[in-house]
Amino acid sequence: MRHLLASKDFREGFIDMLPAGVGLVPFGLVCGVGAAAAGATWLQSLGMSAIIFSGAAQIVTAQMLAADAPFAVIVLTTTVLGLRLLMYSAAIAPYLKPLPEKWQRVLAFMLSDQVFAAAIRRFHMDDDREAAGRHFMGSGVALWVTWQLACTAGFFAGYLIPTSWSLEFAVPLCFIALVAPLFRDTPSVLAAITAGIAVLALAHLPMKLNLVVAGLIGIAVGTIADLARERWKPR
Amino acid sequence: MEAALKLWAVVFAVGALNYFSRLSFIAFFAKRSIPPLLARALKYVPAAMLTALVLPMVVDVSPTGAISWSIAKVAAATLAAVVAYFAKSSPKTLIVGMSALWILQWLLP
Repeated sequence: MRHLLASKDFREGFIDMLPAGVGLVPFGLVCGVGAAAAGATWLQSLGMSAIIFSGAAQIVTAQMLAADAPFAVIVLTTTVLGLRLLMYSAAIAPYLKPLPEKWQRVLAFMLSDQVFAAAIRRFHMDDDREAAGRHFMGSGVALWVTWQLACTAGFFAGYLIPTSWSLEFAVPLCFIALVAPLFRDTPSVLAAITAGIAVLALAHLPMKLNLVVAGLIGIAVGTIADLARERWKPR
Repeated sequence: MEAALKLWAVVFAVGALNYFSRLSFIAFFAKRSIPPLLARALKYVPAAMLTALVLPMVVDVSPTGAISWSIAKVAAATLAAVVAYFAKSSPKTLIVGMSALWILQWLLP
């Protein structure tokens, strides 16, 4: 354990994730405010952020608890919302294969949008899977810690922030910082464009199913473009 | 159900199901090989999924499907994307994006 914390890769992962962690502070504040509005105690609010560890799922859970929705409906809705995590799990699986099972189980817990994007980038650059795994662990711990702090701060003091600051805009900016650098090859650009059109066109679907369906459509288009590019490559 | 008990039950159930989603394929492929077509498709998960996630945060979509947007938000997000593409840096993207939003909101009331 001490060996891990002292490793260069862990430290790099931790430091690399801090800007994204700071960018997610507004999102965490919103989640904390939501938990307070749902009548949670500070311990329950901390439980939500520590155990669920997903902004989208926490907000929906808080809103549905506040509306006194039935247990099964809350669990079903957040599970549908979390279906994108299945895709992240599949995308990262090939890289985690050489790592021990214990590592896979711990890293899986930290697989959130931001950590996933950072980890994939590192795995692409670094052929040393164990080093990239330590980097992944560092990123995950950094995001988990900043997330707890942000949600707890939101629980106690979120209502003090004026809405005119539009701090919630930092959330999409964090995702833009992750996704824009990926637009460097045609299949990725086509995958993003079709996913973007689909997510808006399917916005009427219940339980935010448009997210998952649009993601699948984009992935399919990217894959087809990738196959086509290979077939018609000039020889 | 008592409120506190229900809240904890929901937290643990949602947390557990989220964790199973996160672990699912990592555990499944730990001892199996990944079909080549699937491996190819998985390369496009980040671009497609993150775009689908971010767009509804910039453009407002009502549950009925009506789309509306503020010029300030769309312009600030576009500028941030250009910065992210070239600089590949989260802090620079955040600073440029937030500053652009504040300036545009001030210019276009």
